Amino acid sequence: MASNEFVVPERYEDLTPAPQVDQATLNRMALRSCFLQSSFNYETMQSGGWLFAMLPGLEKVHTNKRDLAASMYHNLDFINTHPFLVTFVMGIVLSLEQNKVDTQTIRAVRISAASPLGGIGDALFWLTLVPITAGITSNMAIQCNAAAPIIFLVVFNIAQFALRFGLMNWAYKLGTTAIDSLTANMQSFTRAASIMGVFIVGCLTVTMGGTQINLTIPNGTTRSLAAHTVVVSNADAKNFTDLEGIDTESAEAGAIAMTDTSDKALTAADAEGNPVETGVVDLGNGMSSVTYAEVTESPVEFSVADTLDTVLPKLVPLCLVLLLYFLFAKHNFTPIMGIGLMLAIGILGSGLGIWPSIW
Amino acid sequence: MEASILQIALIFIVTFIAAIDQFDFLESLYQPIVTGAVIGMILGDLQTGLVVGGTYQLMTIGNMPIGGAQPPNAVIGGIMAAIFACSLNMEPNVAVAAAIPFALLGQYGVTLFFTLRAPLLEQFRSAAVSADPKQVTLWTVISEIVLGLIFAVIVTLFFIGGQAFGQQIVDAIPEWLNIGLSASGGMMRFVGFAILLKIMMNRDMWAFFFMGFGLACIISAIPALATPALLILAFIGFGIAFWDFQQQTELKGALADGGDMEDGI
Repeated sequence: MASNEFVVPERYEDLTPAPQVDQATLNRMALRSCFLQSSFNYETMQSGGWLFAMLPGLEKVHTNKRDLAASMYHNLDFINTHPFLVTFVMGIVLSLEQNKVDTQTIRAVRISAASPLGGIGDALFWLTLVPITAGITSNMAIQCNAAAPIIFLVVFNIAQFALRFGLMNWAYKLGTTAIDSLTANMQSFTRAASIMGVFIVGCLTVTMGGTQINLTIPNGTTRSLAAHTVVVSNADAKNFTDLEGIDTESAEAGAIAMTDTSDKALTAADAEGNPVETGVVDLGNGMSSVTYAEVTESPVEFSVADTLDTVLPKLVPLCLVLLLYFLFAKHNFTPIMGIGLMLAIGILGSGLGIWPSIW
Repeated sequence: MEASILQIALIFIVTFIAAIDQFDFLESLYQPIVTGAVIGMILGDLQTGLVVGGTYQLMTIGNMPIGGAQPPNAVIGGIMAAIFACSLNMEPNVAVAAAIPFALLGQYGVTLFFTLRAPLLEQFRSAAVSADPKQVTLWTVISEIVLGLIFAVIVTLFFIGGQAFGQQIVDAIPEWLNIGLSASGGMMRFVGFAILLKIMMNRDMWAFFFMGFGLACIISAIPALATPALLILAFIGFGIAFWDFQQQTELKGALADGGDMEDGI
């Protein structure tokens, strides 16, 4: 595979703002946004589809070929947003590209605008629109109504496409009008956008980082006394009271007793964990209720995950992100090397079938 | 029930489309309520297909791809449920339950596929370096076709091979590999995060990264805020960034105008 190390310049070569992008191009972009997840992968998530959707606009805006290459390259950054709301981000980013804003600013604005949309879109679509429309139409389908799937498709897609086209146009206008005041303070704006960007990456590390070390270490055993209550005849109850007292510290697991070595009644835990005293209660009808204690021994496990959580929740994702940042920033790691490292850690962690899995 | 060549071909095509549609295109054709009816029509039993599709749909309503998590795969699950009900004459509810292992297999397959697809990015990068939009389109199409074919081949094989075959496949994957790959899949996103950090980070930005991390820890510990967590965090992050912007521009304005400038954004 050819090495694609490419340094994105800080500024585009052609800094003249491009003319307004026409409506037909905006529409093409909105239609292409349907294929946002066409090359979805766990490294940069929707980036390939994002570039595919942005291209009609980018080609209009960047007539300089080297600028187009730079723009295409940095539009392949990690992005994960809601597939139905993505045109909002596309409109904003297109207006920034059109005005030839610094590449770092565009990158920071893109990740900051894209990330929070995921939650909004989930709430709008998966938690509201789909449950309502699919809930109603499913019941129609179960009653063998052939119109059900059609109604579902029509309602869902009207909502979807209204949002896709509406957001595209609105965000593009918003971006191009706000841009003048923004470019006047470009440096501060870049700084503010980067602050928001790293803040969001910090948040994503928590909200999307599910990696945890699932390792438990056996840590000896704990012994306790379990109380059992039985109803037996008075004659049998004598067998219990005749039981020898035991030393609760050294008795074997499974031993039963009424008293300790100095003939004092034992205190044991019943099924609910409440302490009860051992002893015999004569029920008066020739039967007795006997409460005796059994020595139990249960293994104690030390969970690495629980301990790490008391240090800091999401410590493992944080360490992995920082490790990768360090490798990328200081050791010229390429993304593929990062992916390879994660694969190696994952499969070694699961133990190649030889030792117990820690994930 | 013996399947005709035409039925096999149609199921192949429907699965191909649904597999692509689950992530792209209309993102609604793949829902079991739709695929159930279509498979029912292909197998000559629209009524049963509708009922199974509706039943499966109700089951998946609480099981959507929220927050990027992969739920049991509704494409394979929904289509297999309809196939079982229409061709093996299973009760709709039984068919839905019988399809669940297949949906889990699909979920595993999608995770694996997304993990293995990462190298595809290199093709996009080289297209970007040579500023070649046609290459981007080409690889987008190839990527979609591969996804569609994988699903279509698997479902068609299940359709021909039946239920026992599916179980054999599931049993053939060693557990350690399964666990290792899904753990790696969960960690791949950190590569993307780290690259973003490398782009935006400089010495005085680390505080904001850790502030985001800390606030997210707090918010994600509150179950009621789990879904809107990122939106709330974005408000906070926006507030901080905006405040910083104002500070920076006011400072600049103060230097230029002797401190008497109104700040208009």
